Amino acid sequence: MTKLLEQPPFAARDEAAFVAEMNALTAWHIDGCPEYRRVWPAWKPADRAEDLPYLHAGIFKHVLFKTAGAGIEHQRTLTSSSTSGSDPSKIVLDKRSSDLQSQSSLAVLKDMVGPEVRPLLVLDGAKALRQRGEVMARVAAAMSLRPLAAEIHFVLDDVQDAATMNWRQIGDVFRKYDDVLIYGFTWILWKAWATAAIPADVLEALAGKRAHFVHSGGWKKLEEAKVDRAQFDAALLRGFSADSKVIDYYGLVEQVGVIYPLCTRGFRHAPRWSEAIVRNPWTLESIVGEEGLLQLVNVLAWGAPYHSVLTEDMGRIVPGECPCGRAGTRFELLGRAPNVEVRGCANV
Amino acid sequence: MSDNLHYFATATQRWAVALPTRLDALIADWEHLRTAMIRRMPSDFSRDEWAYLISFLDGDNLMRPFVEAFGKPTANPESGCDALARPRGTVAVWLPSNVSLLGPLTLILLSLTGNRVRLKASARGNDLTAAFLGFASENLLPGTLRNYISERVALDQFDRHDPRNEELSQDASCRIVFGSDEAANADIRLPHRADSSVYIFSDRRSEAWIEPAIVSDNVVETLIKVFAIYGSAGCTSPSRVVLLDGSEADARQLRDRVVAAWSRIVRRQPAIHLASQNVMTRQWAAALGWDATSTLHNAAVIAVGSTDLPRPTGLMFLPIVAASRDDAVQQLPANIQTIGHAVGNPSDAAWLKMFAPTPVKRFVPLGRMHHFGATWDGWEFWRGMFETMTVES
Repeated sequence: MTKLLEQPPFAARDEAAFVAEMNALTAWHIDGCPEYRRVWPAWKPADRAEDLPYLHAGIFKHVLFKTAGAGIEHQRTLTSSSTSGSDPSKIVLDKRSSDLQSQSSLAVLKDMVGPEVRPLLVLDGAKALRQRGEVMARVAAAMSLRPLAAEIHFVLDDVQDAATMNWRQIGDVFRKYDDVLIYGFTWILWKAWATAAIPADVLEALAGKRAHFVHSGGWKKLEEAKVDRAQFDAALLRGFSADSKVIDYYGLVEQVGVIYPLCTRGFRHAPRWSEAIVRNPWTLESIVGEEGLLQLVNVLAWGAPYHSVLTEDMGRIVPGECPCGRAGTRFELLGRAPNVEVRGCANV
Repeated sequence: MSDNLHYFATATQRWAVALPTRLDALIADWEHLRTAMIRRMPSDFSRDEWAYLISFLDGDNLMRPFVEAFGKPTANPESGCDALARPRGTVAVWLPSNVSLLGPLTLILLSLTGNRVRLKASARGNDLTAAFLGFASENLLPGTLRNYISERVALDQFDRHDPRNEELSQDASCRIVFGSDEAANADIRLPHRADSSVYIFSDRRSEAWIEPAIVSDNVVETLIKVFAIYGSAGCTSPSRVVLLDGSEADARQLRDRVVAAWSRIVRRQPAIHLASQNVMTRQWAAALGWDATSTLHNAAVIAVGSTDLPRPTGLMFLPIVAASRDDAVQQLPANIQTIGHAVGNPSDAAWLKMFAPTPVKRFVPLGRMHHFGATWDGWEFWRGMFETMTVES
């Protein structure tokens, strides 16, 4: 399907080949998705990644895009978690894209946490998996770690209630294994693990063991609580071995599986099957070294035009090579575009 | 006993209006504040808002509600009066929950009635009424208006579930409720005096109706100005433009003129979030079938389409449609408030015939769509702040 997935995620790539794949994918969506065609009626193949068309992330809250085409089987709908109280995005999953996205997340995660298969603790309830037809983005993010999981334990019955954490189960896992993967949304990890009074027998069981905490979902709630990254990491890693790590990854619900973990130098890198572009919010021109709206593109989304999404997140492309050794465009994530208060009359 | 009887007369009726203060002194104080407002603008207000408040405080404008309700000012008629109007007592006002000029404007109008005014602002967000009262307290000299505000005006900020809502409602002779339908319904069900009156200003929509032959640079400029202030968030903002008996080509031509003129009329760059939202709105509109174009810097999205297309919701989305007059009337939303017109003869009786069976509340020139007044949403609410004693000799 794409040769770009055949190499390690952060190996160098042929830019022209990447743009050619993106053009082919765009043409596929133009042909198979009438709504997308209406948005970009005059589309022509791009010469550069920054000239690729995009859909704004907010539109997925209002329009359900689906691309029809040979070999595409649409499956369940993924619902984004909405922390702001606004409508959630609804994302249609399809088998072809899901397979590619699984390969993507596995490759990127292996690069960050190593290839070893180990038990996975998920700070969520198993019941979240059992919903028919729809799947929460939070669960989809956890499941992207499944290829690295020897066994999966859902250890938090109710994500709204840290007291429902199953410490006995967690203690059992650490008594049995020396190396464990733990996934949770950022604020859930903070509330249910980092600030929890961990029972003494569990602290004893995990002492000196290796843990990789993987989290996503954004810092908004922690920023409000005035918690910084160092504080967060230190609170999670208490008691674990020195080679334990906390890995913060960023990704879009529209592009499940294409993930952007923070490297040791504090940057995020686009794997070779994706690209990060930053645009001036007013002119939409692509910019390097300056703050703007982040656009993420990848060659993996076939079932709907999620292959090029202009986000509402602010970012900055950092030129030059990263000392961490990864190729691929590196960028900084700078939070949400600042909101403004709506003025008007009574009817909003 | 009031020492401040003011006399007015229409062709058929002579009025005495009892106020707690001298009206001329009160208006003079507002005009004094107006002078200070010209010199300095608090940061809470936009330039458009401040300019409108300044124009609103013009002395003639402040006298207008009296003239409309009671006639022209006169001397004490030797033959006596036919009726006496007096303030009803205490007016409770639930202000809109978003940032709005309606609070300051209502306060100014109510000050003229002499009633005690208790305003309730939303617990969340900024409130322009508090900012305006703050400016007034800093800039008013000792005198009638300053005394009125300190003695008879109270502003509190609390949420809609606060028990103080009940107290506010129970004490009021008149209740004025701004808010969503849901909030307004909750407020009017609060315990209240059996003889109290209530005025509800809830969810409303407005439209601009334009005849293609009338479109000029001036009309385009006015349309941009009335829309740009609040976008679709204003109850008096045009939520769509109807080109009466026009064609889709006319609509496209108007759209292109608006897009071309926008950056000349609206010089401010939109906030990043708004520019980003407008990228989304343009795409959403296009996906729904609108021929949508962004103005420079993604400040707004102006779109052309047929009247039956679903509309995206976007703060700065302005759809332009061509429709016959009959279709335009048929498609009016149930909560229509204002129609801003740019038509050849707005005085033609045909308009009145057309609007008689509709719920339209105002038919005003495009440039006056946002102008607040003593009659609002079809209510003569300002007049309702007085009770009437009839006098027969």
